[in-house]
Amino acid sequence: MLKLKNWAGKATRTGLCALALISANMLSAKEPLKIGYSDWPGWVAWQIGIDKGWFEEEGVDVEFLWMDYVASMDAYVAGQVDAVTMTNGDALVTGGTGKPSVAILISDYSNGNDMVVAAPGIETLADLKGKKIGLEEGFVIHLLLLKGAEMAGIDPSEFTIVNTPTNETPQVLASGAVDAIGAWQPNSGQALKTVPGSKPVLTSADAPGIIYDLLSVDPESLEARRDDWSKVVKVWYRIADFIKDEENIDEALEILSKRVAISPEEYEPFLEGTYILSLEEVLPIWKEAEGLGSVYGSTKIADDFNVEQGVYDEPLNTVQYLDPSLTLEYAESVK
Amino acid sequence: MKNSSQFKAPTTPWFAVRKELSAKRRSLLIAASFILPILLWSIVSYTPFIWHPDIKLEISADRENVTTVFTAGNHLSKEYFPGFVEAVEAENSEILAARASGESTNSGFRARRANLKILRHMAPVAIANGWLTREEAEDDSQLYQVWQGVAEGSLVGTKVKLSDQNIALIKRNWELLSAKSPTFVSKSLPETPLEKLVPQGRPANPVYLPAPHEVVIQGYHDFTQETDPDKPSMWQRYKHSLRIVFFGFMLSAFVGVPMGILCGTFDFFSKLFEPFIDFFRYMPAPAFSTLLVAVFLAHDAPKIALVFLGTFFQMVLVVSNTTRQLDASLIEAAQTLGAKTFTMIRRVIIPGITPNLYNDMRILLGWSWTWLVIAELIGVKSGLTEFIETQGRWRNFDSVFPIIIMIGVTGFVTDQILASLRKYFFPWTPESSEKKHGFIGRFVLWMLDRKVYDTPKNGKA
Repeated sequence: MLKLKNWAGKATRTGLCALALISANMLSAKEPLKIGYSDWPGWVAWQIGIDKGWFEEEGVDVEFLWMDYVASMDAYVAGQVDAVTMTNGDALVTGGTGKPSVAILISDYSNGNDMVVAAPGIETLADLKGKKIGLEEGFVIHLLLLKGAEMAGIDPSEFTIVNTPTNETPQVLASGAVDAIGAWQPNSGQALKTVPGSKPVLTSADAPGIIYDLLSVDPESLEARRDDWSKVVKVWYRIADFIKDEENIDEALEILSKRVAISPEEYEPFLEGTYILSLEEVLPIWKEAEGLGSVYGSTKIADDFNVEQGVYDEPLNTVQYLDPSLTLEYAESVK
Repeated sequence: MKNSSQFKAPTTPWFAVRKELSAKRRSLLIAASFILPILLWSIVSYTPFIWHPDIKLEISADRENVTTVFTAGNHLSKEYFPGFVEAVEAENSEILAARASGESTNSGFRARRANLKILRHMAPVAIANGWLTREEAEDDSQLYQVWQGVAEGSLVGTKVKLSDQNIALIKRNWELLSAKSPTFVSKSLPETPLEKLVPQGRPANPVYLPAPHEVVIQGYHDFTQETDPDKPSMWQRYKHSLRIVFFGFMLSAFVGVPMGILCGTFDFFSKLFEPFIDFFRYMPAPAFSTLLVAVFLAHDAPKIALVFLGTFFQMVLVVSNTTRQLDASLIEAAQTLGAKTFTMIRRVIIPGITPNLYNDMRILLGWSWTWLVIAELIGVKSGLTEFIETQGRWRNFDSVFPIIIMIGVTGFVTDQILASLRKYFFPWTPESSEKKHGFIGRFVLWMLDRKVYDTPKNGKA
């Protein structure tokens, strides 16, 4: 009996120790800022700041986690990352269905890299009526398809949507299970390559400004560690300047293509389809206005679409999802 | 059967019902079982008239206003390839026509960039012909020298023969290049558009069946190339994967073995735990992956947890079953000698089941390997599986095969080693005493005792 008591005491002690360790971990003063990022070229760009050690130079401790796009948003909702790279439309979807966020910077807008790629023999978007399209339902590429359908005067209910993870789209198109896929580079390019003769029937270049790409932060984290996030913004503009300088193109391609494991030659065309925004270019986009020229207008349009599609029921307060102040402060400081 | 001196001694047949073959024949067949698949693979890969529906590019070209970039090594179907060649030839004749009429489309940086890309399309040819190493081929000035060499005829392709059309084209381009500068200076590349190398290729099997030598070369390259410091090298990935299997399995053994022994010893625990475990093991472990990520967050913890989940429940049932099969007379004997419950477990049951437990563990270790690939896909992808995933997605199957083979070899070798060690751990078990020492075993025995083979002992002490 005595032995058993002893044993029980030991077990309790061990348990308490473990608990203490776990809580100590949780309360540890300065965790690195955790940021989930994925394979869209405008987000892969963060790799330049990581590889070049610019975050250390600015004195901000960050940990970037590389994931698939939807998985990264799931991780954000689950609270495993403090921020995630997503599009303005998907920030609303994530907010309306899981967890709100605040965009503190706009990295780029999609200028052709988001595509609907159709199998050989299909020439236009209208030809896809009554056919199957594989894409991530309810997310950015779906929005692009609906917008494209609207512009072409097609009723989107005529398409059959097959929910397909973006990184699986090349194989799915090749297998013939669908007649078209919706994806972005590098996956859309891979699909074009895998199925020779396939062609894009709709790209984001047909509706520039429908997709803005953001860094969206957990509001709590932003409030608690605003200074650190300011430093992240600062690093971003260093990255943007680096990429936009023609002299650096080979070095930039080297870093970017390595992250997604393709060759620099293959990566080069992506730079055309993802328009990285410099500080001067982004300031007008941060102004509140109607239409696709402003991130506010674009996000409003995305919100209407989401409600219409039944992604969530009530329109969201889109203004809450956007916070230009960190970018504006940075712009002031470098004037 | 007659057996006189006039007749040749009868050879034992290859096909005898339930008879063991001679040791020589056995080793021959074991070797053949590995050689045959490789032979079959080689035949399909190296005889050009068998299958080969694709063209594998040796030289590629970019096309204007097309975002799809084909690079050397890509496969195109035999139907599509001629169209690709025609498209490039058409662009070349446009370039020449524009040059003749004196109009230029691009200027400045863009024009130089386009020409630089054309220069770099020579890189795969230079590597294949052994003119440059992979590292040297990334250096534009070295490539420039290659252009010069080909144009002046000092470099002639052996592995990849340049077509006459391409050689003529290279000479025309070199005239333009050398007029600007004899060595590479990025600022002084001509702004006149150069002609593009016309794509060349050779028949190949589909991308998912690379030839054996391609797999070997690519595997060697993947394992030896310098990776950037923040990315794991292949060996680090390998260690990472091993760690996940090992920790998942160890954790599971740490909990599962004692639990299994308790269940096998006491009916109380058996009825308390086993029904639920029996029910739980039918839930597929991967179904819990998202749950595990939510509980254990990113990194290795959810992966180890998945290996644990996949192994643990089987383990408890297997171990409890092994415990129950222990010879009842041993237990009765111990009870007669007055052993108490705990003494019985410690001195009779555990030693009694250890040889069989060892076998169970060996099989379960193999079982936990099967969970590795699924485990590494959850949360943040990692280890060998991340590599398989990315390379597979880009259809670089020559990089995928070495990894798959390596996982297989690791599992197989571990299992063989553990199986051969059993004889030395548990020499008293009947299976062990019948087994002959293997080559390694004989060597070790000789190392320990040089006199061991001096007097024949018929393999028995």
